Amino acid sequence: MAHHTDQKVLPKREDRLRTCHAYGGTSCALVQESRGGCLVRSERSFTQVCNCQMSLALTMVTTIPDAVIIMHAPPGCGGSNVSMDLYVRNGLNARGEKKAPLIWFTSNLDEADVIAGGEEKLEATIVEADLRFRPRLIFVVSTCTPGIIGDDIDAVAGRVRSRVAATVVPLHCEGFKTRISATGYDAVYHGLARYVQLAPHDAQRLAEESSGQALLDERRKSRRVNVFNVYSIGRSDEVELARLLELIGLEARFYPNFARPEAFTELTEASLNVSICATHDDYFLTFLEERYGIPYLIDTMPIGIRNTGRWLRAVAARFGLEEQAERVIAAEEAELERALSDYRPPLAGKRVYLGGGEMRVAATAMLMHELGCEVVGFRAHHYDEFGDDLYLTAAQDRPGMEVNVATTQTFELANLIERAQPDLYLGHSGSNAWVAKLGVPTLPIFSAPQTYLGYLGVFEVARRAVRLTANRAFQEQLRRHTRQPYRESWYRNDPFAYITDGADGAGGRP
Amino acid sequence: MNGFVERPRFSCTLGGALSTVTAIHGTVPIVHAAAGCGGNLFTAQLGGSGYYGSGYCGGLSAPGSNVSEHEIVFGGEERLAEQIRTTLEIMEGECYVVLTGCMTDIIGDDIRSAVQEFRGTGAPVAGVETGGFKGTSYKGYDLALSALFRQVVAETDERATNRVNLWGLVPGLDPFFRGDLLELQRLLALVGVQASTFFVPGEGVRDLVEAGKAAANIVVSQQHGIAAAEAFRERFGTPYLALELPIGPSASARFLRQVAEFLGLDGQLVERVIERETADYYRFVERVADFYCDTDLQHYVAVVGNATSALPYTRFLAEDLGWLPSLVVVTDNLPDEERSRIALSLDSLPHGGKPALVFETDASVIAGHLTRAWRPSGGERYQKRFAPAFVLGSTLEQEPAAAVGARHLSVSYPVFNRVIVNRGYAGFHGALHLVEDLLSTYFGGA
Repeated sequence: MAHHTDQKVLPKREDRLRTCHAYGGTSCALVQESRGGCLVRSERSFTQVCNCQMSLALTMVTTIPDAVIIMHAPPGCGGSNVSMDLYVRNGLNARGEKKAPLIWFTSNLDEADVIAGGEEKLEATIVEADLRFRPRLIFVVSTCTPGIIGDDIDAVAGRVRSRVAATVVPLHCEGFKTRISATGYDAVYHGLARYVQLAPHDAQRLAEESSGQALLDERRKSRRVNVFNVYSIGRSDEVELARLLELIGLEARFYPNFARPEAFTELTEASLNVSICATHDDYFLTFLEERYGIPYLIDTMPIGIRNTGRWLRAVAARFGLEEQAERVIAAEEAELERALSDYRPPLAGKRVYLGGGEMRVAATAMLMHELGCEVVGFRAHHYDEFGDDLYLTAAQDRPGMEVNVATTQTFELANLIERAQPDLYLGHSGSNAWVAKLGVPTLPIFSAPQTYLGYLGVFEVARRAVRLTANRAFQEQLRRHTRQPYRESWYRNDPFAYITDGADGAGGRP
Repeated sequence: MNGFVERPRFSCTLGGALSTVTAIHGTVPIVHAAAGCGGNLFTAQLGGSGYYGSGYCGGLSAPGSNVSEHEIVFGGEERLAEQIRTTLEIMEGECYVVLTGCMTDIIGDDIRSAVQEFRGTGAPVAGVETGGFKGTSYKGYDLALSALFRQVVAETDERATNRVNLWGLVPGLDPFFRGDLLELQRLLALVGVQASTFFVPGEGVRDLVEAGKAAANIVVSQQHGIAAAEAFRERFGTPYLALELPIGPSASARFLRQVAEFLGLDGQLVERVIERETADYYRFVERVADFYCDTDLQHYVAVVGNATSALPYTRFLAEDLGWLPSLVVVTDNLPDEERSRIALSLDSLPHGGKPALVFETDASVIAGHLTRAWRPSGGERYQKRFAPAFVLGSTLEQEPAAAVGARHLSVSYPVFNRVIVNRGYAGFHGALHLVEDLLSTYFGGA
C-alpha cells in the first residue's frame, strides 16, 4: 500500500487531515463544525507572528545525539537553535548521554544564491560538517528560500552520498507551505522513513523467507513497546510512563527525541508503537504499520487521572493485560489521592484558563477539573479529527466552556484573559509573559525538568498550581506597571472578531 | 559570496531590523513575511542576548501577515494592505513599521505603495525591505534605522547645540546595549550633552520623531550604524562622529574628550568630569586590589566579539586592568576595508604586547584559534604556558575555554548562560561591573 513517504515531498496537513487554525466558540460546536468541514478555510484578517513547521521540526532533530543540523537557508532560519542548546544539553545529560553543545550550520544563502541557486553551497556545507564532526546523521533542513528557488535537497543528498560517512537526511520544512506548524513533525518522520535504517535487517526479505516470518512474528509477540515522545516532555515524564508500563508488564523504549541514531535500527523490533500525543505521530506510525506491520495506538494523552488510566488501559488491551492494568490503576489512583489531600483544598474552585497544543490542552483541562478547578476555557494551536473524541469528553457537563483555536495569536489571548480574569493560566511558551502582564500567574505547560504526565504529573501540576497561586505579587505588579500593545477598544470587541471564513473577501484568501 | 557558517553569531537582516524597531518603545512592527520568521527570530533573540524578551510589542505579539502559498503565487500586497489596516485598528502604536522577509522580497511586493496608502492617517507608518538573504542582523539594524530616519524623523530647522543622538549598539545583538547606552548617556549629561539613545527606558518613538533636532550623531561603533548615520546626514545635514565604544576609565576619558572637541564643549568642565569619574573608579578598584593581588588574577586573555565590542574589551583589559591579550576574534562578516581599519586600530594598543587578530564567525574555527593560541601542555616539568587564561566571548566559547583551561565570561552573541537586565560594561561604571563579573568567575561565576 502506498504511503505518503513514497513521495519525495510530504503533503501538508491541510491536505491530509481535517485541519483548522482559526476558531472561537465552544468545544462541542468546534467538533461539530469541524466534522461538517466548515472550518478548513477559516482565516484571520489580523494575525501575529508565530512559529512555523521549521521550528517544530528543529525541536525534534536537535535532540538526537551524534547528529548535525544543516539549515539550508539564509542566516536567520534556525537562529532559534541558540535557545535550544541548553535544553538539549540537559536533556542528553538526563538520559545518561555526554553533555554536548548543539551543533548546527547555516548554508548562509545570500542574494547571489537566490538568483543562481544554492545547491553547491549546501553540498560544501554537508561535506565540511561530515569532516568536522563525523556524525552518524546529518539533517538538512530546507526552508522557504531554497523551496522557492527550486533547490533539490534530495538530489544534493544523493550526490554527496559517496563522499560523506554520515547518513544525510533531507527535511522539507518550508514555512510558507502550511498553516499547521505540526506538519514539521511529519517532515522529520518523512525524512526518517525515507533515509534512516529502521530495522537491523531488511524487513522485506525477512518477511519473504519463512524463517524470517517466524522471527518477525516472535518480535511482535514480545512485550516491548515504542513510546513516541515529544519535545515538550522531559526525562521525568518518560520515567513515569516507563514505570507504569512496566507495572503492567511491558518494556518501553522512547523515540524519536533523544534517541541515538543507532537505536533507530531497532525501532521496528517492537510489538506496538504507542503515541503520547496524536498531533505528533500519526504520519510515522501509519508508515511503520504499512511498511513493517507494526500495529500502533493513538489514543488520548496520558495527562490527568482519567486520561492516564484510559491510555494505560488502551495499551494493556493490546496485550490482554486488562486485569493487570486495572490493578495498577486502582493502586496508583489511591496513592495519588492520598498525596493530593493537602493540595485539593487550596485549588478548589480556582478558575483556570489554558493554551497550547491540541491534545495537551484538552487533556490538561480534564486534569484541572479533576483537581477541583473550574476551567473557563482553553486554546489550541490547531485542531483536527484527532481531537474529536477528547474535546467532546473534556466538554462533558460543561457546555459553555470556551474553546479558541489559534497558533498563539496573543491578541485573542489578551482579550479572553481580560474577560475571564482567571486565577491561573497554564500556557505554552511564548504566551505566558503576555498573560502575566494581565496580572495572572502562569504555569508553563511544558518545561522539561518538570513532570507533567502520568500520575506523578497530576501531583506535580497540583503542587505547582498551589505554589503559583499562593503569591501573585509579581504578576499584579507587572499588570500595574506595564501595558499590552492593544487599544482599549479591543478588550470590548468580540475576541473572535478577526476570524473570517476565508471564503468571502474579508479574509481575502481562499 | 558568503560561505557556510557553523553556529553563526547573528541572525538575518529581518532579525536585526525586528529587534531594532521593537526596542523603540511604542513601535509596532508589521512583519510581512512567512509565518515562522517572527517566532524563530524572537527565539534567536531570547537565547542570543541573555533572555532579552518581547517588551511592548515584540515576541509573539508582533503583528505579521504570515503569508502562505497563496500570496507567494498571487502576490502579497492585498494581504499586506489588510494587515496594515487591521493592525492600525487594534494595535496601539506611536509608529508602525513594515518589515519584509525573504518570501515577500522574492515575489517583489511593493511595500512602498502599501505603506503610502496609510500615511497621514495618524501615527507614522514606515516600511523597509529586510529579506533575510540580504545579509546579517547588523545590516538589518542599519536598514531599519535608515528607513526610520527617512520616513519617521520629523523635519525641523531647530538644532540644539548640546543635543546628540547615540547609535552603534544593536538591540538583541549587543547583549549589554541598554546598560551601555544608559552609562554613556550619564557620562554625556555630566559634560552638558543631552543624548538620546531611543532604546532605554523613558525613551521611545517621540524621541525618534524629534531626533532631527540633534547637533550631531555619535556612533559608538566603527561599523554598525554608520550607514544609518550617513542616511541621517543625507536628509538633515547632521554630522556624525564614529567612535570606539568606551570601556573603562582610559577609553571613557578619550571618548569624552573626542565628543567635547567635536561639539566644542567647555574643555575645563570635561577634564573635571574625567578626573572625578576616574577617581571614583579607583576608589572602588582599590578595595578589590587586596583580593586581586593576593590571588594573582592577572590573565592572558582572548576576546571574541563583534566589530563594535571586541577591541574595546581588549583595550580595557590591556590598558586599565593590565591583562595580556593574546587573541582577538572579530565575529561579524566584515568587508576587507573594514578589516584593515580594525587591524590598524589594534596597533594603537599601548600595553601588553600585540594580540593575534582574526576575523572569523564559525564556532569550530574560532575554537581552533583558541587551542592554537593556548595549546594545552604536553605534561613537561617546565611549561611555557599562557596561564592563567581568560576568554571573553559568547556562550559558544564556554567549552573551548574549558578545554584550554581558561576561565570564561559570556559577553557577546549568543549569550544563553546568563540573564542580562540592565547590566552594562561601557564607561566607568560598566567597567566596574566587568571587573566584578570577571573576578567572580574565580568562585564559579557571579
